[in-house]
Formats: sequence, C-alpha cells, structure tokens
Amino acid sequence: MIDTTIRAVAAEAVGATKIYGSGDTEVRALDAIDVSFQEGRFTAIMGPSGSGKSTLMHCMAGLDTVTDGQVFIGDTDLSTLSERDLTLLRRDQVGFVFQAFNLVPTLTAIENITLPLDLAGADGDRGWIDEVVDTTGLGDRVKHRPNELSGGQQQRVAVARALAGKPQIIFADEPTGNVDSNTGAEILDFMGRAVTEMGQTIVMVTHDAAVAARADRVVFLVDGKIVDELADPTPEGIRDRMNRLGT
Amino acid sequence: MLRLALKSLLANKIRFALTTSTVVIGVGFVVASFVVADSLRASFDQLSEDIVSGTDFTVRGQLAFGDLTETEPPLLDDDLADQVAAVDGVESAAGTFFVPDVTPVDGAGEAVTSNAGPVAGSNWTEDESISQWYLMEGERPRGTGQFAIDISTFGSYDFELGRDYQVITPTGPRSLTLTGVMQFGFPDNAGLGAVFTIFGTAAAQELFGIEGKVQSIGVRTEPGRDPAEMQAAIAAVLPDGAEVVAAETISEEFSDTFEGFIGIFQNALLVFAFIVLFVSTFIISNTFSIVLGQRIRELSLLRAIGATPAQVRRSVLTESSLIGVAAAALGIGLGMLGALGMRGLFGALGADLPDGPLPLRMRTVIWAAALGIGLTVASSLLPAIKASRTPPIAGLAEGAAGAAAARQRWRPVAGGALAGLGLLLTLRGLFASFDSTTAQLVSLGVGAGLVFLAVAVLSPLMARSVVSALALPLGRIFGTSGRLARANAARSPRRTAATAVALTIGLALVTTVAILGQSLKSSFSRSLQTTVAADFIVSQGQESLPAALAEDLRAAGAGRVVAFNSVQAQVDGQTKTLTGADLGDIASVANLGVVEGSLDGLDPAGALLLHQDPAGDYGVGPGDELDFAFPNGETRRLRVAAVYTQTATFWGNWLVDRDLVTEMSPVAGDTVVAIDAGAADAEGVRAALERALEGYPQVALEDRSEYQASAESNLNTLLVLVNVFLGFALLIALVGIVNTLTLSVFERTREIGLLRAVGMTRRQARRMIRWEAAVVTLYGALLGIALGLGFGAAIAAAIPADIIDVITVPATQLVGYVALSLVFGLLAALFPAFRAGRMNVLEAISTED
Repeated sequence: MIDTTIRAVAAEAVGATKIYGSGDTEVRALDAIDVSFQEGRFTAIMGPSGSGKSTLMHCMAGLDTVTDGQVFIGDTDLSTLSERDLTLLRRDQVGFVFQAFNLVPTLTAIENITLPLDLAGADGDRGWIDEVVDTTGLGDRVKHRPNELSGGQQQRVAVARALAGKPQIIFADEPTGNVDSNTGAEILDFMGRAVTEMGQTIVMVTHDAAVAARADRVVFLVDGKIVDELADPTPEGIRDRMNRLGT
Repeated sequence: MLRLALKSLLANKIRFALTTSTVVIGVGFVVASFVVADSLRASFDQLSEDIVSGTDFTVRGQLAFGDLTETEPPLLDDDLADQVAAVDGVESAAGTFFVPDVTPVDGAGEAVTSNAGPVAGSNWTEDESISQWYLMEGERPRGTGQFAIDISTFGSYDFELGRDYQVITPTGPRSLTLTGVMQFGFPDNAGLGAVFTIFGTAAAQELFGIEGKVQSIGVRTEPGRDPAEMQAAIAAVLPDGAEVVAAETISEEFSDTFEGFIGIFQNALLVFAFIVLFVSTFIISNTFSIVLGQRIRELSLLRAIGATPAQVRRSVLTESSLIGVAAAALGIGLGMLGALGMRGLFGALGADLPDGPLPLRMRTVIWAAALGIGLTVASSLLPAIKASRTPPIAGLAEGAAGAAAARQRWRPVAGGALAGLGLLLTLRGLFASFDSTTAQLVSLGVGAGLVFLAVAVLSPLMARSVVSALALPLGRIFGTSGRLARANAARSPRRTAATAVALTIGLALVTTVAILGQSLKSSFSRSLQTTVAADFIVSQGQESLPAALAEDLRAAGAGRVVAFNSVQAQVDGQTKTLTGADLGDIASVANLGVVEGSLDGLDPAGALLLHQDPAGDYGVGPGDELDFAFPNGETRRLRVAAVYTQTATFWGNWLVDRDLVTEMSPVAGDTVVAIDAGAADAEGVRAALERALEGYPQVALEDRSEYQASAESNLNTLLVLVNVFLGFALLIALVGIVNTLTLSVFERTREIGLLRAVGMTRRQARRMIRWEAAVVTLYGALLGIALGLGFGAAIAAAIPADIIDVITVPATQLVGYVALSLVFGLLAALFPAFRAGRMNVLEAISTED
C-alpha cells in the first residue's frame, strides 16, 4: 500500500553541514544534507559506523548544532535559538529514546515518564498519559524504580516518556541496541503502535536491517550524505541496498 | 606503583587540591599556634633575663604559702638595702619595686592603658644595672613632682618632655612633670605592651603609699667573689621573713611564670587546631572512599591484569602519603602566614601580642609533618583496604560506582558502644573530681571525640529518612528539580552522613559555646540584679583600682561607697580567697541573705562574714572564731559575725574588713567600688561621683545595667575569638561539601546529561545541585545543634552554681546558625552546580559510566 496522503513536515534539514576540526584534521560528518520527516511516519536512518547518522539525529533534535545550513522542528529554525530555547524546545517538542541509560535512577517509572512535563511545570494531557502508560503494559510496576525493571520494561518506559508530552517528533538512537531480539521486537511493536494508532512521528537510528524494516521509510547515509532511500522496506530489500552501497 | 599514584593525582587536580586544602588548613593552624607561642616565649625569655641582668642576688620577702604568680611577696624595710650594701664583698645594693595601677594620662587626655602587659609604676636606681632603668632622653625624675616614662609608651602616645601630665597613683591623681624617657633592660628591648612610669625611690614610695618599704633589693657583688659564700654572708644580715635568691633563680622563676601562661595560651590554640584536624580527617576519608568507588573499574582492571591486593593497597597509600607530604609543606607555609593573622586577630580584639620574629622550631616542623602525613594516610587506610579487596570482575558489573551498600549490621553495635563510652568519659570529665585539670580535659576531650565518632558511625542509619523528611517541601516549592535534589541527597546515606558530619561537629561546638555564653550572661545578670543592690559600680576592666579612688568618692559625699579588694589566706592549711569590703556599709550594696547572726552594729575590725557552705564545712556559726594565716606570715583570729547565702562576682564565700586586706597586701588596689545612692536622686549622685572621678579617666562609672553590658561585651569578645577559631572547622566542612558534591556531579555525568537532553534547563540543573547541598547541610546543622544542646547543657550543669545557675538556650542565635548553614550549603554548591549546568549534553550522554 502506498501512502498518498499529503502530510505536514515534522522536521526538516536544509543543506545541513557539520564539520569537526579544521585543516588536515577536518571531518565532514554531515555534508549538505537535505531531508524531511513527515508527521505520523516512522522513519529509520541507516548507515555504517561513522556515516554521520547519530550526528544527523543529534543536530535534528537540538542536542548539537550544524556548522552550516538549517534545521527545522515544525516551523522553528533551530539555528536561531539560544541554548535555553533549545533546551525548552527539546523539553516541549522533542521526545528521546537512547540506547541505554534512559532513565533517572532516583525516579519511579511513572515519574520518569512525566519528567519532561514536570520539568515544564505542565500537567499534560492526563487521558493521554494514562493511555501511554497503559500501552507500556507495566501495570503496577510504574511505581517501581528503574533498577527493579527489566531491560525491555526500561526501554518501554523510555518510549512512554518520549510520547507523554505529545512532541512534534521523537528521536530514537538504537532503542533496541541493548536488549535481546524478543524484547527488541516488543519495543518496536510499541513504537509502531505509537505511530499507527497514536499518530506520532518517530525517527530512529539503527544499523540492524530487521529493525529498520519496521519503519515506513528508510534513509541511507554514507560519509555524511544521503545516498538512497526506501519506502515500505523489507529486511531483504534493506540488506540488498546496504550491500549495493558497499558496506 | 609510585608512578601510578602520581599519575592518578595529576589526573585529578581539583580533587587533589580540595583534599589537600582541608589538611593544609589543619596543619597550618597547628603551626601557627606553635609559632605564635614560640614568638611569645622568645620575647619573654629575653625579659626574664633582663629583669635580673646586672645583679647577682635578689633579697625579697618570703611568702608564708602560695606562690609568686598569685601573691606579691611581703614588703621589706628600705634600710635593709643599706645593711646588705654594707656586707663585705657587696659592690652595690638598692631597693626596687613594680606597683600596679599607676596610670599616666597623655596630652590628649587619654589614660594610657594596655591589654597586653601591666600598667605599673617603678623606680630607678643610681646604679642603673640594678633597677634596669636606663635613661634614654631628658633627665632622671627627682622628687615627688617629676616622672619618667618608658620609651615605647613615649613613642606611641602624646607625650613631650618638660610638660606636666596627670599621673594616677595609688594615692590619687597627681600633676607631674615629665623629665625623662627610660628603657627597661639593655640593649634594645621591646616594651611587650607594658606601660611604665618611673620615679625616684623616695618619691615612688610616697606616691605609691608604701613609705619606708621596698619590694625587693637587687644586689651586685664584687667580681671574683664566691657566690655561695656571698649568699650566706647576705643571708646572715637578713631578718626573719626575708630571703636572698640567686639572680639565675629569679630569672628562671619569671621564665616559668611566663611559660605557665604561654603554655596555657598555646594549648588553647592547639585545641582548636586539633578540632580542625579531627574534622578534616572525616573529609579526607570520605573523599578517598568516593574516589576509590568511582575508580572501581580501573582498580578491577589492575587486579585482572595481575596486581595483588597488597599492590593496590600500596598504590592508594602512596597516593595519600603524597597528599600528606604536600599538605604538610603547604601547611607550614600557611601556618607562618596564619601566625601573623593570629597576631592581627588578637590585636583587633584588643589583646595585643608583642611583635618580634616568628620562630619556626624543629618541633613545629615535626608536628606538622607527623600530623599532615599521619592523618592523611590514616584516613585513607580503610578505603585502601576496601579497594584492595576489589574483585577483578567488579568492573564488569553494571552501575558499580556509587552502588548502594548492603545493610551494615555492625553499625548500630559499634555506634552504640562508641556513644556509650564517649558519654561515660564526657560525664566523668564533667562531674568526677580530678587531681589535674589536664586529666579532666583529656577525659572530656576524648569523650566528646568518641561521641562525634559515634555520630559519624550511626548517622548513615538515619540519614535517608531524616534527609527525605527535611527535603519534603522542596518538591512542592521547586517541582522536579526540588524532588530530584531530595532524591539525590537521600540516595547514598553513607555519603550524605560523611559529608554532613564535619558540619555537625563544627556546629555542635559552636552551639555549645553559644549555650555556655548565654547561660553565663543570664546567670551573671541574675546575680547582679538580685544580689547586688548598688546603684553604681566603678571598675577598670580586669585591672585593680588605685586605693585613693574610694576615698575620693567618699569625699564627694554622694551615696554610700563600698570598696572591695581581696587577699589569699589559709584556714586549717587550705588556701581561700578572702574578699575585703567596707563591712559597715556592705548591706547597702549587697543583698547577702543573712541567715544567722546580724550585720547590725557590726564592728568591722576582726569580723568575718561567712557563706553558709564553708560555715557548714567548718561547723561554725556567729560568735565562733577561726584562725587565718596570711602570705606575709602574719596570723589573725576572726570572729564570725553572720552567715549569708548569696554570693556575686564581687564577693565570694569569705568577707572580711577591707583594712585588714590592705594591711596584709599593701600594694594591691581595689577590685571594684560599689555605691548606693540611698534615697537621694540617682542622677544627682551620679553627677557628684563623676566630678570626683575627673582625675581618673581610666575608670568607668556605670549603673548596674551598664556594668552588665560592659561585662557582657568582654565575654562577647572572647566568644567572637572562640567562634573565629571554630569557624575554621566550619570552613573545612564547607570544603568537604564542595568536594563531595563535585565528585557526585562527576559521577552523575550521564544522568545529568539525560536530564538536560529531555529538557532540564541549566537553571533547573543548578537548582537541583544547590538544594541537594542545602539539604545535606541542613541535616548536618540540625544534628550538630542537637548534639551541641546536649553538650552545652551538660557542661553548664557541671559548672559551679555561683558562675552558672541558669541554663539558657539562645534560640534566635541557633535559628540563625541553621539559616547560615543553609546559605553555607548553597554557597558550597556554587561550583559543582556551575559544572552541572555547563555540562556538554552530547558528551555527557555518550560518556561510558
């Protein structure tokens, strides 16, 4: 099935360039990248180590700044924002799921989920938060501290936290990188439902074709450039592309 | 292993600096205490030699009992000097004296007083080497109309040769012509803060009211004479009650007397220094524990590649030895600066110490090295042993650093035992009777130290619940950063407790001092208001008043004047302090609470008023007689006239006639003069008294509340001094909090990075760290104040009731201390909070924990 709906853009990079060092040691981590992520879609960014996929995610999410070009979240140009405004943007409009160490050990699961809202001093949408918490399937365990939860449960709490504030976009950095494949599938199901049933936008960095195949679209990055992309991918299709890209 | 230890130190410069600074402050304090005391020793040893240089023997009155530090020797007849001079082989002999309470008034009308040395009158002798007064400028004063002044006073005050100045002598104020400037000892000798006026011998005797008497006779023999023979020959012409003493013996006596005071001074300073070191031991130990906990991966790697536990232990101990060496060296440097600062501090508080070189003796260096290195190594011993037990696989375990420790069952047992033993020793020190003050103080000090150790051991057991309770409002006030601050403060109770304990000790001591100070003030005020009935009080700080002053006041005809003085006397071989007073009028200024006998129709001569305690001890009542022996060898039989119940600062348990005291101790002035205005208008009486006192600008005329206020201000000065010194312990506590917090922030890099990534602002991050510090300090402060309340009340209860009879808690002051601790905690968090706020989010979230 081909999605023909015209969707608003949740985040966009225009000529995004990131350069580390200078002269002989200059490294072009992002090389004039143009890419946009539409609302309600689940996109995977793939590429070999050092391809710049994490850098792209960090710059798109307001954790890092580009050397040249522009990055937008919704209509906001990130390059015009101060450090404080970037922080507020991350808090209010961006959700994060990291590979590991996603949760604050002194807070319970539910407190971790509502952390960005609490930091903003906002109550959030109670009904929505209850729905998100329900979807994690944690039940009573939401009152537990992270060290009393399994790795899969911890990652689901992390996804729930990313969802709780209804952000413009969620960035996930190898969200299944630290768990076994069954647990990984569980987490990906949860993320998939967030997109299809809850209408959220997710951009995920991964190097695993089976994981990337769960997305609606895969973007391939090599040497800081977008070299290819694939809609409605299958694991085989992705591996095929990857092989052709010589990685 | 040495290289590893060095590398480890250099890699963590801030931590190294912070750890070292606590030891440096402690060692510096020890060094400064020794150096200041040694500097005093050097000055006074010189003085001890000068006092007798140029003479071979001193003839003086013998004390029947007691020693010369408390009691002046009885005076000698001055024709004895001629008899001694006539002894074959004596080259010259002359009488000399030093009489207290001779105060010059300078050209600006300012009475010259001194907080550092005596304000005294003396006489010059024809043979300068006997009196040691050398003329530097002008002419020697002759007759009762002239005087000379010592060179340092001449230099520091408004004096000019040839002009007339007021000099307040024991016989009253005189207008005298300044003819000369003299110097004591030769060559150059620092005045040591003393103020001297010098007269010719006969004039001095008249002005001081001791006609025909001298205090001692300096003797110089012809060269080549045998000292033993000469001493025997001089002794042969002396009457009973006089003795001849070799100059070296006198010099040693002075030196011992000075050493007595300097030793007390030095030990008092060292007590504070040891408190500071004690507190820093906790900080160092805590730092080592945290750091080694954080380095568990590195240590387990070392173990995995074949380092033995002994090698790991050695590496840690080498690291702490290096810190110790650096701290000792820096501490010596800081101590020299500190000695200067200490002089300045004493000067600023009105107790000038003599200038002079600051000697760094070997003993000081050895103490500094032993304490600096010893304490650092000792504090790292337990952490080192724990580190050496790191299993090689420890680094592979998740979240190893800062992991919650298992419940430690030994804590309640060990803590309870330490607390029990500590309390026992403290109470024994307070309430048992001791042969020596040193033994008592050791029992008290060791006891208090053990109680503090017990608190350090037990504190982790309650830290989590207390801290959580204290921090409860934070979440409500500051939202998430407040809640996180609370959670962080409670997450490692052992660390929180160890960080807070330094502050606990510091505040416990400050609180103890505050309670004692307040109780002293309120007891003093109560005693003054209830037992002293006088309307006005004339006094001169700690100095005594010229004998003539009471007569001048009486001559003014305003109110009833009662002067007090005192002398030592023995009853049944026990030495007591007798207070002399004008017994006929005493009822008008003192509410004695007479329970037996009566003051009506009292004949002061030969009368004794006795407090009920000694009356009970000796089993005597009105009409009974007791025999008293006085230092000058005389004895008196006194008859008990009345038994009373109330004492005050002016009088103790034994009240006798003032004339009796003057007879037994002629050069001692009055301690205080009390005046009852009676039915007359108080303001009118005051005006009359002020007129009578015009010649005595150095004394204060005060009503009871003014007198109380100035007595309190003296006490306040002492309290300020004590608090400044205890402040160093608080400073160490501050460093400890900065240290722990910095390390905790470093340890939580990933967590803070995560918080920042999901939207915590810098301000929120800083707030989180600041309030964590505030909660930890609040915990330490409250614990300290609770302990201090206990200590303060116990010590106040142990102090005799005539000094402290009401225990008062200065609540406002204590609330102030708590508030100050909070500010303290927020200050301590400035740097760590800044670091947390500045943390690079990307780097933080990609840090391998």
